[in-house]
Amino acid sequence: MSEKLKVSGGTALSEEDIRSGKIFVTEDSLNCAYAWDTGVAINRYLAELKQGRIIATECRKCKRVMLPPRLFCELCFIPCNTWRHVKDTGTINTFSICHVHWDASRIKEGEDPHLPAVIEIDGASEGMGIMHILGEVEPEKIKIGMKVQAVWKPETERTGSINDIKYFKPL
Amino acid sequence: MGILEKITRNVDNRYWNPGVGAFPVKNRYTAGVAGQQFFERLKEDSKIFGTRCKTCETTYVPARLYCERCFERLEEKDWVDVGTEGVIHSFTVVHKTLEGEAKEKPDLIAAIQIADGILIHRLGELDDMEAYIGMKVAAQFKAKADRRGGINDIDYFKPL
Repeated sequence: MSEKLKVSGGTALSEEDIRSGKIFVTEDSLNCAYAWDTGVAINRYLAELKQGRIIATECRKCKRVMLPPRLFCELCFIPCNTWRHVKDTGTINTFSICHVHWDASRIKEGEDPHLPAVIEIDGASEGMGIMHILGEVEPEKIKIGMKVQAVWKPETERTGSINDIKYFKPL
Repeated sequence: MGILEKITRNVDNRYWNPGVGAFPVKNRYTAGVAGQQFFERLKEDSKIFGTRCKTCETTYVPARLYCERCFERLEEKDWVDVGTEGVIHSFTVVHKTLEGEAKEKPDLIAAIQIADGILIHRLGELDDMEAYIGMKVAAQFKAKADRRGGINDIDYFKPL
């Protein structure tokens, strides 16, 4: 190795160097806007939710009614283009009583626990469920197998989202 | 239909409304050891500095920390004031904004050769029809109070 070659070892900078203006910086931000394409099947599902209906697809081979709808049957590997409206009632498959928020912070005193549940929708095949929240119910009274019904937002407030259903309440 | 249904035109894309958002991405660039010193001299003394490699007889502008040709370390003694004048090496007349809309008045962006280096900068006090390759230009500095320690401490280059 050449004797002339020196290793500089780098130059450490502190936040203070930059804030005080001692070190010149160029700051910028990138435009990282994104949009998530729902695909064909979920697009129709959301459009139907806006109308206050729940739609599923049926596989013509295994006759499963799939919810949320999908364009192919993952068991038969065939396209599915038979659309079926299903009811807005269902059965609780599983549920949780959450005393913490999504960021794991504890709920405040007096704040109602969050009640997410998987609901098997009537008209769809067994085990086909959607995740939603429960409302108008005492947390202690929730049971697996309980019949529930969707509570929809008023038509004018619907945006084509799963939140067009406010929550599911016991029948 | 079914899996055979494809979106072939991007304008047909439908997106989920709550799925629209933006990631916050910020960056901060520092000019490095030589760049910092180069900008300090620009800001404080209105001088453009280069570094000269004696082995290769090359004067780098803006100043570098090492010679790209022989990997020689360039020391404090190698810093040279190269003056504030240069020659247009190449230029572009910009008629559109970054968004692609027509500008009211075209901008002139030039590669200006100073010693053996190039600075990219705007040209000013010059009509776009008057600029030519080989034209001699000089740096027009901003008022000292407006300087921030960057290449924009030079407002533009103007004809001599």
